Amino acid sequence: MTSLGSSSSSATEYTVRVPKNTSKKYNIMAFNAGDRVNCSTWTQARMERDMSARRIYGEEETAEGAAGSEFGKKQREEARRKKFGIVTREFKVEEQPWILKVNGKAGKRFKGQKKGGVTENASYYIFTQCPDGAFEAFPVNGWYNFIPQAKHRTLTAEEAEEEWGRRNKVVNHFNIMLQKRLREQEHGEDDEDEAEKSGKKKKKGGGGGRGGDLRIHDLEDDLEMSSDDSDSSMGEDGGSKAKVKKNAAKGGAKKKKRKGNDNEALEDSDDGDYEGLEVDYMSDESSSDEEPEKGKPSKGEDHPKGIDEASESEEESEEEKQNDEEGKEEEEEEEGKKTPVQMEKKKKKDSSGESDISDDSDIEGDTPSALFMKSTPPKRGGGRGSAGSSRTGSRPGTPSIDSASTSNTLHAAASKLEQGKRQIPGPGTDSPAAKRLKMEPSSQSPVPSGKNTPQPPSGKSTPSSSDVQLTEEAVRRYLIRKPMTTKDLLKKFQTKRTGLSSEQTVNVLAQILKRLNPERKNVNDKMHFYLTE
Amino acid sequence: MSDRTEVNLSGVKQSKGVWLVKVPKYLSQQWDKATEKGEVGKITIGKKQGKTEVCFSLSAELSALHSAVGEKDGALQVPREHPFTMHTVGGQTMAVFSQSSTDELSLEGMVVHRAECRPVVNDNYMKLKKLQLKESTKPQRLSQQLERAITTVFKPVANHDFNLEYEKKKKSEGKMVRAERQVVLDMLFSTFEKHQYYNIKDLVDITRQPVTYLKEIMREIGTYNSKGAHKSTWELKPEYRHYQSAEEEEETKAA
Repeated sequence: MTSLGSSSSSATEYTVRVPKNTSKKYNIMAFNAGDRVNCSTWTQARMERDMSARRIYGEEETAEGAAGSEFGKKQREEARRKKFGIVTREFKVEEQPWILKVNGKAGKRFKGQKKGGVTENASYYIFTQCPDGAFEAFPVNGWYNFIPQAKHRTLTAEEAEEEWGRRNKVVNHFNIMLQKRLREQEHGEDDEDEAEKSGKKKKKGGGGGRGGDLRIHDLEDDLEMSSDDSDSSMGEDGGSKAKVKKNAAKGGAKKKKRKGNDNEALEDSDDGDYEGLEVDYMSDESSSDEEPEKGKPSKGEDHPKGIDEASESEEESEEEKQNDEEGKEEEEEEEGKKTPVQMEKKKKKDSSGESDISDDSDIEGDTPSALFMKSTPPKRGGGRGSAGSSRTGSRPGTPSIDSASTSNTLHAAASKLEQGKRQIPGPGTDSPAAKRLKMEPSSQSPVPSGKNTPQPPSGKSTPSSSDVQLTEEAVRRYLIRKPMTTKDLLKKFQTKRTGLSSEQTVNVLAQILKRLNPERKNVNDKMHFYLTE
Repeated sequence: MSDRTEVNLSGVKQSKGVWLVKVPKYLSQQWDKATEKGEVGKITIGKKQGKTEVCFSLSAELSALHSAVGEKDGALQVPREHPFTMHTVGGQTMAVFSQSSTDELSLEGMVVHRAECRPVVNDNYMKLKKLQLKESTKPQRLSQQLERAITTVFKPVANHDFNLEYEKKKKSEGKMVRAERQVVLDMLFSTFEKHQYYNIKDLVDITRQPVTYLKEIMREIGTYNSKGAHKSTWELKPEYRHYQSAEEEEETKAA
């Protein structure tokens, strides 16, 4: 090396050698700056060629020899190919991508694809400095671009399209993959329910239809939901309320994008916590909340349940209800569809608690809290939305009725529907009893209350709507409030709502009136009854 | 085989920094002509007014360009001075890995600088480039005009060579004689053991029997596939065949 001194520069000279005899072939391994790869942190690395393409090239190896083979098949195939000019590209090992695994199984994975055209017009050389100061130049044989491979599960094209369609709605992004994972777990676990579940799921709009966005088959839900417990779960409500609230507070960290409910930022859920839990489907908003709560409601679930999902959804809706005390109307707007169903569900659960249902519904105060155990964000509202969309998968396709968040009118509509179908187990007292009015399986005929007229055939499991039970108390209430004619009274106890036929209604009403012995007044030529307390 | 996948990380551990240099094709060609020792030139690294300047000088013997034709050497010279333009590797992290002849992989180092080797542009260089351009624009295929017509082929022939061979072959092999039925059957069974489907022509070839006779026998023991994947092939009747399925075969092979 000679040093040349010059006025404003100092230079050193080094010889450049291009070794001839290198047996090594040099390649470039290029990473993207954004991946922040630091090779010095690698403790161990393995790299091998990705031979997965070989299968494609060596395809169509039909049975050779004996069964199924033809004499001279290969030659004929080759001749045919030549005739048509089909040129198949050879499988060259040199052109295959590399698979680089860094730091063992838990480390990163990269796929390195060869970049073409590197050596066509210019050659690249690697200049390294040798200990003796001279440079050695090695030609670069190939250039591979290494891309990190994702270890997390990605959506398939169909799923991606689905999610794209829901992007404008409140979506908990965390949930998408989690639901998918959980659903897969479920499929592995519940074989017996699989048919139902899948059926339900499909009905609910395809495999991805979680979150209850599509409530197509209300009937299904009604019928199937009929067999459930909520009585026991109701009973637990008090106890579980606290737990639920706590959970609600805990979970739901992921429900970020709830419409207008941003206050629940206090949750802090971990991904892994809820993975093992079984859920039918997860709604967008409250999935993470719902899952941990699953355990609790299940304790009280002794009743025979026609369907596991039903029970699960029961639990969920209960949970929901607890949380949703306040936030009834919140989500309603968005999910008009869901409301009828949800209302039904709610009715099933507790058949109570809606303001419009009956004025005297005591449940309102309690049940909402008790019932709305759903893990939707404590603040409000998540309930409804969560009910609809965030059903944590336990019940695919059955909308979990967010009892809390139903508006009066919707509730009324739902209750009508319900009552048309369900039996009213005849509780003497409305509210508390009403809560227990889950659809009892037709096998278990609801215990008819003494006051009720004979129930319709038990084949019909109709919801008990405590609200409009034709009871003495109810009549008394009406008559105290204002004088009414018999016609008015009958109107109040519509057959649809009470589940009794018109004749029965008349009979029962007559009995009640006899007992009450109200005072009579003639107004407008019509006989009015009234009571004074 | 243990080394097959393991990458030798020693180079990277030592934080060996290398330069990635883009070199023009003509220059690399000259480098290929270097002597055994491999010395191709000198590199000068200097600081001029604060900026690092790198310049590569090609050694004298290599700058003599021997073009293909061999007539022009001396007149054209590969430029000798090549300043390097240096860049940093901002956007990419690049490493160098090598694969030895034994398929051993090792990580040689990280690229710390990128450089381009540019020649000093002068007339000499321009002439060189012109030459290169001319060569590259020449079409690969050329039409040549012949002075004299080809007369060696396409003469009328009494009988083509190919035909003559064919006839000779036919004569030597003679007509196919019908062998004993049982013998033919044995032959057929053994051939069908090798493959399931056969063309009648192939069977004739194998058994050396006249077609009609063979067909008669085949009609007795086999069926003809006129449709399907194996069109127009003969196969044995089910009662005569006992092929194992492919899976079983594999199992037995593996066992």
